[in-house]
Amino acid sequence: MLKLLLKKQLLEIFQVYYYDAKKNKARSKVSTGLHFLLFALLVFGLLGGIFTFLAVKLCAPLIAAGMNWLYFALMGLIAVLLGAFGSVFNTYAGLYLPKDNDLLLSMPIPISALVGARLFGVYLMGLLYSAVVILPAVIVYWVTAGVTLPAVLGGLLITLLISVFVLTISCVLGWIVAKISRKLKHKSLITVLISLVVIGAYYFVYFKAQGMIQDLLANATVYGARIKGAAYPVYLFGSVGIGDVRASAIVSAAVAVLFSLMWVLLSRSFLRIATATGKVARREYRETHSRHRSVNTALLCREFSRFTANPNYMLNCGLGTFLMPVCGIAVLWKGSELFAVLDAIFAETPDSVPLLLGVVFCGFASMNLTTAPSISLEGKSLWLLQSLPVEPWRIFQAKIEMQLLLTGLPMLLCIVCTAAVYPLHPMQLLVLLLFEGSFVLLMALVGLLLGVKMPTLTWTNEIVPIKQGGAVMITLFGAFGYIVLLFVGFMLLPGWMLGFCRYMSCFVAANLFLSVLAYLWLRKKGVARFSAL
Amino acid sequence: MLKIEHLSKNYGDKKAVDDLNLHIAPGEIYGFIGHNGAGKTTTLKSVAGILQFDTGEIYIDGKSIRTQPLECKRSFAYIPDNPDLYDYMTGIKYLNFIADIFNVSAADRQMRIRKYGDLFELTDDLAQPIAAYSHGMKQKLAIISAWLHQPKLILMDEPFVGLDPKASHLLKEMMREVCDAGGAIFFSTHVLEVAEKLCDKVAIIKGGKLIRSGTMDAVKGDDSLEDVFLELEEESC
Repeated sequence: MLKLLLKKQLLEIFQVYYYDAKKNKARSKVSTGLHFLLFALLVFGLLGGIFTFLAVKLCAPLIAAGMNWLYFALMGLIAVLLGAFGSVFNTYAGLYLPKDNDLLLSMPIPISALVGARLFGVYLMGLLYSAVVILPAVIVYWVTAGVTLPAVLGGLLITLLISVFVLTISCVLGWIVAKISRKLKHKSLITVLISLVVIGAYYFVYFKAQGMIQDLLANATVYGARIKGAAYPVYLFGSVGIGDVRASAIVSAAVAVLFSLMWVLLSRSFLRIATATGKVARREYRETHSRHRSVNTALLCREFSRFTANPNYMLNCGLGTFLMPVCGIAVLWKGSELFAVLDAIFAETPDSVPLLLGVVFCGFASMNLTTAPSISLEGKSLWLLQSLPVEPWRIFQAKIEMQLLLTGLPMLLCIVCTAAVYPLHPMQLLVLLLFEGSFVLLMALVGLLLGVKMPTLTWTNEIVPIKQGGAVMITLFGAFGYIVLLFVGFMLLPGWMLGFCRYMSCFVAANLFLSVLAYLWLRKKGVARFSAL
Repeated sequence: MLKIEHLSKNYGDKKAVDDLNLHIAPGEIYGFIGHNGAGKTTTLKSVAGILQFDTGEIYIDGKSIRTQPLECKRSFAYIPDNPDLYDYMTGIKYLNFIADIFNVSAADRQMRIRKYGDLFELTDDLAQPIAAYSHGMKQKLAIISAWLHQPKLILMDEPFVGLDPKASHLLKEMMREVCDAGGAIFFSTHVLEVAEKLCDKVAIIKGGKLIRSGTMDAVKGDDSLEDVFLELEEESC
């Protein structure tokens, strides 16, 4: 039974790799292989690359200081943080809210098998996020310290233990979210607010950690002794990676006990939570004077209704909207000190600071990808749009407008705040505005183009199109690639010789050119493709 | 009002609808019956402009759904067999959305929402999110949204599934009112007793082909519609 459910869970997670929704048929083996290869390249190549770089930076100095365990403790904790952070948002939905819960609960399936299969899905997500940190760390350690039997066994064990620990943390947090959300009135808003606090805390720790790492490398022995004394479990945790038998036994036992407790908690409460209808007071309808809106406004409001009703959608595809105003305020508060430091660092490469601003704003804009999953999110209610007297282009327009509003307005606020603190030349400010505007437009159009080209309309959980859809993945990683190119092109190629305005103007021209291409495709082929979905 | 001419639609090698011809005049309630997979939903979806068909033509009020889809869609309402509405909206938001799309004035929509909401006893639930609705409530909301813009033609796929007896009775009365006012209704059903009592005309489809159509009396004669349907099913096997 469990095997059967696991197979179903895997099929659901990787459906997009095996099934071509566009052609409504199974993909060929070659196509499936290529999709998996692309996914592996994006996740392990890009994200893994970042953490490989960090591991290389830390490994040799810490080994030289005899602090091998500290290396694994640091990388392991980052893996736990990233794993829990990455999967906590979908644990609640993945465990308790899948659309096939009622169907499966009505079948003669033991609850433990159902919980087990659901946990497997959560485990895979946690494993994915934690493995991109810990696997490069282990490999870098093997290369630097040498491949020995304890190191190999320790490396494999710490990877396994981290993944199980991440699962445990995610499930406990998912359980807490489930318990709270049953009694909440404005679930979406509160979920987003809590998530933002978690994200804020995460980044706070992350940025503090950067400074701490530098300090730690300089004083590894002192800090190592202090951590060993004050936080002995962290020492044990790190020692697992180097193959310490005693530490491995203790940490394995602790992780097993925590996992068992979580299992008991989950299997006892699963049925109650999964079938709960909540005790939120019923809202009574009171007739009010309804306003007549234009078709365009109605479609735009529909997009906003979907966005604000779904915390997963808000957090995964609209994070930039929440972060940009925070960034703007932070710049007003601490910006002048920061810019003074940056000016000093980049004294030899003129215009580097305005370029960095462009890169950072691009980073925020790339967090907003509402258009990419928006076609897939229509799901089974697609018939409505197709049977209504509305041109498909108007539907596209509403989707694009929402992303432009959600990104453009906070972006403008952010730029205005920055301009108030940092003395940008009027021409630089104009070019920066044009660049960010054209990038936001490009993101919206390309996201929608990919959404139309790669729709996944048959999902049982909204997380599938929001987090795992090909359109979202390609838009997100494509934007990351673009940002890297922007930065590297200026600093290394070297674009700075052109000067900020000329260099950025090239990107503005490219953005506009690509936007026109995407626009033309959407107007002609996209519209036809949408009608035929 | 609705003219279907030589409609054919294939799914791969399977012929879902094969050279179907139907003509529905204003004032008619036209029933569409057939076993599961006979091609009823495919036909209705093709008429509604959701599915692109292979050959043939569909005219609604003299306009082709293929070449003038928007003009056609402005004059009809479609209710599918499983009303997957926007779960993220409340009932009232959804009705206002539909009213906006069909350009229904604020006064008219308010009056109609109140009227049909009260008739279907859904008014009190209109502030609830659609996600919290039962199947029957979603079906009622889909019906209200269809009647909200007073279409000339109403297309319905199994409209009575999930409705309570009172709502079913109400829907039948509303269907008759639409036709008395010069509109037309084309709907599929498996409930042959309902089709027999309600429809002016009926079409029986099997394997995508029309096997009998015409006025109710002409199709069933002195027998019941059920007997005729079963007989035709056996004959064509």
